[in-house]
Amino acid sequence: MTMRNRITHGRHRVQPIEFDVFKHLFLSIADEMGATLRQTGFSPNIKERLDYSCAVYDRDGETIAQGDHMPVHLGAMPLSVRAAIDAVPMEPGDAVMLNDPFQGGTHLPDITLVSPVCLPGDRRPTFFVANRAHHSDVGGMSAGSMPVASEIFQEGLILPPVRLVRRGRIVPDVMAIVLANVRTPDERRGDLSAQIAANRVAATRLHAAATRYGAARLLASARALQSHTERAVRATLRAIPAGRYRFEDRLDDDGFSEDPLKVAVAVTIRNGRVTMDFTGSSRQAAGSVNANLAITWSACLYALRCLVREDVLYNAGVSRPLSIIAPAGTVVNASRPAAVAGGNVEASQRITDVVFGALARALPDRIPAASQGTMNNITFGGVDPRTGRRFAYYETLGGGMGARPDRDGLSALHTHMSNTRNTPIEAIELDLPIRVTEYRIRRGSGGEGRFRGGDGLIREYESLTHATVTILSDRRRFPPYGVRGGAPGARGRNVLIRDGREESLPGKIELRLRPGDRLRIETPGGGGYGRAADGE
Amino acid sequence: VQVRVGIDTGGTFTDLVRIDRGGIRVHKVRTTPSDPVASIVEGLAALAGDAPTAPITYGSTIATNAVLERKGARVALITTSGFEDILAIGRQTRPELYNLLVSRPPALVDAALTFGLAARMDPEGREIAPIHAERLSELVRNVAGSGAEVVAICLLHAYASPAHEAAVAEQLRAGGLVVSASHEVLPEYREYERATTTAANAYVQPLVDRYLARLEAVLDRRPVTVMQSNGGVISTTVARRQPVRTVLSGPAAGVVGARMVASAAGFERVISFDAGGTSTDVSLIDSAIPTAQETRVGDVPVRLPVIDIHTVGAGGGSIASVDTGGGLRVGPESAGARPGPACYGIGQDLTVTDAHLLLGRLDPDYFLGGRMTLDVERARRAAAATARRLRTSVDDLAEGVIRVANASMLRAIRVVSLERGHDPRRFALVAFGGAGGMHAADLAADLGITTVVVPRHAGVLSALGMLAADVMRDYSVSVRKPANAVSMSNLARRIEPLVSQARSDLRDEGFRGSRVLVERRLDVRYVGQSYELTVPWSSGYGDAFHALHARRFGYADRTRPIEVVALRVRGIGTAARPALPFNPVRRRRTVPARVVKDSRFDGRSRRTAFHRWDELKPGDRGRGAAVIAGAEATVIVPPGFHFFVDGFSNLVLTRGA
Repeated sequence: MTMRNRITHGRHRVQPIEFDVFKHLFLSIADEMGATLRQTGFSPNIKERLDYSCAVYDRDGETIAQGDHMPVHLGAMPLSVRAAIDAVPMEPGDAVMLNDPFQGGTHLPDITLVSPVCLPGDRRPTFFVANRAHHSDVGGMSAGSMPVASEIFQEGLILPPVRLVRRGRIVPDVMAIVLANVRTPDERRGDLSAQIAANRVAATRLHAAATRYGAARLLASARALQSHTERAVRATLRAIPAGRYRFEDRLDDDGFSEDPLKVAVAVTIRNGRVTMDFTGSSRQAAGSVNANLAITWSACLYALRCLVREDVLYNAGVSRPLSIIAPAGTVVNASRPAAVAGGNVEASQRITDVVFGALARALPDRIPAASQGTMNNITFGGVDPRTGRRFAYYETLGGGMGARPDRDGLSALHTHMSNTRNTPIEAIELDLPIRVTEYRIRRGSGGEGRFRGGDGLIREYESLTHATVTILSDRRRFPPYGVRGGAPGARGRNVLIRDGREESLPGKIELRLRPGDRLRIETPGGGGYGRAADGE
Repeated sequence: VQVRVGIDTGGTFTDLVRIDRGGIRVHKVRTTPSDPVASIVEGLAALAGDAPTAPITYGSTIATNAVLERKGARVALITTSGFEDILAIGRQTRPELYNLLVSRPPALVDAALTFGLAARMDPEGREIAPIHAERLSELVRNVAGSGAEVVAICLLHAYASPAHEAAVAEQLRAGGLVVSASHEVLPEYREYERATTTAANAYVQPLVDRYLARLEAVLDRRPVTVMQSNGGVISTTVARRQPVRTVLSGPAAGVVGARMVASAAGFERVISFDAGGTSTDVSLIDSAIPTAQETRVGDVPVRLPVIDIHTVGAGGGSIASVDTGGGLRVGPESAGARPGPACYGIGQDLTVTDAHLLLGRLDPDYFLGGRMTLDVERARRAAAATARRLRTSVDDLAEGVIRVANASMLRAIRVVSLERGHDPRRFALVAFGGAGGMHAADLAADLGITTVVVPRHAGVLSALGMLAADVMRDYSVSVRKPANAVSMSNLARRIEPLVSQARSDLRDEGFRGSRVLVERRLDVRYVGQSYELTVPWSSGYGDAFHALHARRFGYADRTRPIEVVALRVRGIGTAARPALPFNPVRRRRTVPARVVKDSRFDGRSRRTAFHRWDELKPGDRGRGAAVIAGAEATVIVPPGFHFFVDGFSNLVLTRGA
């Protein structure tokens, strides 16, 4: 075979009037990947809660388009793609799987699958496509793999970038290792099939698009879309008063000691660039609330994206004007072998809170008060007495949104870094030995103010069998802040009801439930905005 | 002579179509927003005054708009106690990820009108906690005293056992209250979707009930049937009880109309493409009209069988703008019918229709059959500022606007075809609505589709479709059993009551013998999945499921166990198909242009032949570039396409040679 020039994009110029044409094209590919995952997945996390993300990358692993899925995956996905590219030479038909938080992953239940798309005439991948899905269990010390752990080795099976699919065929040895290490292997096999199918669909569509528009033009359009988003972000930054803005807040504790963990930031905005410096944040903790760098990137990118008021495409253009300083070995850039299951879901929320807290000093009329600041992770595990089979069930709960400068916060929903749906109560009760006995808005929990914070919610479960439950939650000690004189939102509460007695539980705990025990979770309200009297 | 009339009440116009042996007549009247019935009376007098007993099929956006604009009834909602906030919590998600000022429309039911009942069923339909008679009486008193006009009930696991819901409904009805109970509206699991569907039914019920009562009174001796979202019609009696089944009747009727016209013209596999002023509705008909089990009306999920239609916010009125990053954007904001595109003479914004005009693809002096003239200079002024910001010419901008609008429409077609495992090249594109014929050829070229059909009555296809709609009743029952744990005879026993119900209901609507069709289907999935595929009733349903899964999603796993989630029955009372007026093609001739002018296509000026549709005869043909202006729609034939007028006076566009 003769050497052929690889496809270049040098000579193609994409006109601004065409941006949207290609935006629709790339977004529809990401959306179709998502539809495939959702409709063929097996984990409730994927099929009901939509805890997944899908995106298309250029040959350098830079995002071209990411679907509107999970904000916490925003910054982390490109790092996964990068890690896969660096670790494994990929050929057409391959798919590389990974979840290692210190090699491009976030927390272990999130398994990412990266595939190359090699267009005819190109000797190396022209594009990459990737999807990440939260699996219900990846082994480790507790069912659901969201334990209160002190080392990552306790949290589950660690997957460095390895081929799950080679030239279109599943690598049986790798699959066997995965299935041997998890509590619900059938479900894992089904979810991984769905992830493989999603990448295949995307590859087919990119090939078709290249036939239609020409590969060079497609690549040029990808570059143009990234630059387009970058211009929008820079224009937004230039409209913010230049300066250095500081803020700090705390995570309650790490589940082992009672020491709070400080998250501090200094946001510097100048000349269409922004630096977010987390120097001064606490050392990484023994417990699993640590964020790895990917999570910190996700949180900062999310906050930045929220400042752009228009519906620009989310891609690498958002990250170009952003620099992050996060000292290694801290709670915002944990080093191996830190436990990180909760970094994705808890530290990410606090990082978002401090970045917005700092931005509120620059833009007091645009930035809301703190939202619930936790995802209230609840995991149940055990053996279903009806079937004799093991089960692992994970869900997260919404809470109050912080009040906004011109309106109240919304109640009982996911805020900032999450947007997963609830699982239908009837689906839970059909599939699991759990009964939901209450699910309602926690009235009065939003912070008072000129505009009120949104209310949290109450979810109460009754265990119908002996089960293990793991709770990973925050904002049980330090409430979501209000701004400009608004009151903080109510703190969350976790309560065990056994034999008619109520016992208050810590924010992070693993405990055994007996049949008839009830677990009641009350999620935090959002902070208020402005002094209450101002509105009257 | 059997005269029939289809009526489609929209926000701006009420379309009436009359069909009889003499052919089709169309009449449009402005909708009187305060009294749409008055517009109907006016239209009927003009169109069918000579046929005072001619049957009417009716569709409107009244129920849809009531939900979208939150102008429905005061509804009380009764849930299992502890779950009163079910509608307010929804799926606990926010509708936009990156918008700090995101808001949600208020729930259909006010928090003060939600009531809890302390009683409980388990998923098998066994009673865990019974209803206490005193509590029930107290609940009924409270609901009656709440000021609610109508009551919705949705108790946990009512799909498995309706006993509690039935008891509550009976007491409320005995007290004279109007009730929608979830096991009657939608006996399927997933409490939130069942609750929203039931609440939506209650929410629009008083409005639709009053409206249809008035319509029947005014229409006097004319029998009336009502269009539903599933593409069939029902009696007013059923529509007044279950009005939520009518919410998307307009777009559904459009698909039925598209299928009727295409089928008569010899096309059984078509993609219907309905581009209006604000949005575009797309559906794929692979011989049969596709059904989806759930849709949304604004933010409200409605889980009932509907025609599977995908909608995007792009149409002739979509507004072009420049974003912060310096990119051109089109829609989703729309100038709608008012103020409308700049060239209509009221609005200031550059729209897709203006772009067509600026490229010389519309005849400004003969738009919509000469009912309107278009203001080219006004369109040019609207474009100038945007063109300057993008440092481009007005012509290039106009082409860009159309390309972006096309990209958005294209995405909708990809969703219903490629994403569902269909190759669009095997289909013909049936384009209608005001803007359909302006974009269809471009889209066809992009998708590799070779044939475009623009129906003669492209502007009133929904009203026409109503005349082709069968009477249709849908029934379902939850099963949720692994396939290896439930025999075919057991499934047959479970589906039999639905079949009997369907036959009996159709008998009540006057259908017997060969005019009655009963279709049986199963919702199937792999054990552990949440989304079902619907396959025809057969003992080989497992194979059918694997095959469909492979086509839709690219893989199937025959070793994995499957489960039956629900059984579905559709009863169909077949209507007499109206015969579309047909004039056989006597001679083929290349039709001379009425006028030849310069228009722009692909960055170049082209000599373009302008025709008037009314002046074309079956057999007339020509080649692009051409523009065919009709009374209901304008059709753009780009270079590379040929057109041909068929025996039904449809325009058929073909690509190549």
